[in-house]
Amino acid sequence: MPTLSQRIGLCSASALAILIAATLPAATQAPPGFSPLDKSNPAASKQDGSLRPHATPPLPAALDKLPVDKLKLPPGFKAEVWSHGHAGGRTIVMGPKGTAFIGSRIIGRVYAVTEKAGKREAKVLLQGLTQPNGLAVKDGALYVLAINKVLRYDNIEDRLDNIGTPVDLTDKFNLPPDIHHNWKYAAFGPDAKLYIQVGANCNICEVNPGVHGQIRRYNPDGSGMEIVARGVRNTVGFDWHPVTKELWFTDNGRDWAGDAGPEDELNRIPKDKEGANFGFPYCHANGIPDLDIKRPDPCAGVVMPAALTGPHTAGLGIKFYTGGMFPAQYQNVAFIARRGSWNRGQKTGYDVIIARPQPDGTAKLEPFMTGLLDTGKNEFYGRPTYLLPLADGSMLVSDEQNGAIYRISYAAR
Amino acid sequence: MIGAVAFWRSLAFSLATVAVCVPRAGAQAVPLAERIEQCGGCHGADGNSPIEKIPSLAGQPEFFLLNQLFLMREGVRLIEPMTPFVKSLADGEMAALAKHYAGLQPKLTGAGPDPAVLARGAELAAARRCASCHLPSLAGQEQMPRLAKQRIDYLIHALTDIRDSRRSGADTVMSASVVALSDADLAALANYAASK
Repeated sequence: MPTLSQRIGLCSASALAILIAATLPAATQAPPGFSPLDKSNPAASKQDGSLRPHATPPLPAALDKLPVDKLKLPPGFKAEVWSHGHAGGRTIVMGPKGTAFIGSRIIGRVYAVTEKAGKREAKVLLQGLTQPNGLAVKDGALYVLAINKVLRYDNIEDRLDNIGTPVDLTDKFNLPPDIHHNWKYAAFGPDAKLYIQVGANCNICEVNPGVHGQIRRYNPDGSGMEIVARGVRNTVGFDWHPVTKELWFTDNGRDWAGDAGPEDELNRIPKDKEGANFGFPYCHANGIPDLDIKRPDPCAGVVMPAALTGPHTAGLGIKFYTGGMFPAQYQNVAFIARRGSWNRGQKTGYDVIIARPQPDGTAKLEPFMTGLLDTGKNEFYGRPTYLLPLADGSMLVSDEQNGAIYRISYAAR
Repeated sequence: MIGAVAFWRSLAFSLATVAVCVPRAGAQAVPLAERIEQCGGCHGADGNSPIEKIPSLAGQPEFFLLNQLFLMREGVRLIEPMTPFVKSLADGEMAALAKHYAGLQPKLTGAGPDPAVLARGAELAAARRCASCHLPSLAGQEQMPRLAKQRIDYLIHALTDIRDSRRSGADTVMSASVVALSDADLAALANYAASK
């Protein structure tokens, strides 16, 4: 089992991030005519009014407290601890030289995990950022997207001990200043463009479709912005189908409209429908009109989801599998990490599911990794957030709640 | 307890000597009682702040206190006067401080609530659903702070910072919760919350 130092010193690279973070975003300016005020009516939803988001511990769980023994997988699959001690770690990307970079939200850190003499070590690479969830690697550079901040660290893997000053691309990307639902997911597409989302700046409200509720793509330098999807409430995970090259994304449904949903979505942007509307805020799930924001024909022209992923389950990371280790039936299948519900009396999610794309463009869902939710006690033991297939065909799953990453491997019996 | 002048002098000195590289594991452990005495210089010996715009810590949820100390140590929440005190805190010290202050009795200090704005404050608190996370008693829970019996001037200061996007480290739902409120509305909310 790899060991890691849980005590990580504050070093020069981190001090730099503190200075960067000191430049706080400009005051929010709501575009005229649009208010991010939440229009939901919790009383009408008949939900337990004391539901609230679960806290993420700022300290990581000890190695012997990690719930790896609770994980349940299909026959032949095995889970082990790959790294730990990185509190709040969520997004995972891999540099070409084998460094794993891990992004986070409230804790404000980016970690680097390296292997030295057979031991895996995590260190704090950056800290003091505002929710640096968006990470992407291209041509040896690490792109770090925090709320209202886009930074590029060139040749990052040669400079892990002294990462230097980043190229600040924030002004080039010119992202809206709103904070809510504005932590980022970022990934380079098959077209070498950087795809990022701009979430709805509310739970449920009228958003300016020219600004919020979008997936966008940019040239890596921040130029050439194009909108590839509209009416998207809060996607924080997407990937491209290995064969069709179509973009598939998870999307988190609105809260305070009932324990039953509307369900979260797995969406596909058909090749001929780039820029299409996915319904927010008027139309949810597979055609459910919104309770609080009404208009005639709310679902007209809306692209329906490839699959519904459950009420409040919070599907985040999605990765298509193309590796050589898992059985053939997992080829080109999407793995989805569901962080688990908060706005629901009976908890749900807290697992990894798979989505099998069908010839008609929809997908069939199956459970894959379970065991982190005790439905009887209504308690959870971990929160799967993001995934990363490794070169050897195994799959990493991050557990934000415990500050750990598990590796899923397969061996035929 | 150190006096205000001595405190500011020591603060100026500390700020001038902030080290870039602090090996946390090897940091000199300071006895908890000494830490508490340092905190008490501003936050009050009993955790109820006698100083304008300095928050009371007494009765805050333990997780909230730990989380905020952590975020300040990391530089996510940048509060210059706090930096010298939190930068060398070890994880265990943060946990002990959080436990200590969570166990103290909250007491409203500073100006009392203005009865003229309480009704407006209650109306806004209902509309913005403060109780859904901060509890109907506004005593806070887990990562959500206690608002009841907090200093009114501090609550106004914090709410204004959140509205104007000057506060980092708060849950992003707070920026949506106070959007478009006037200064008078924020003051009414602060008076109402403190009065609970």
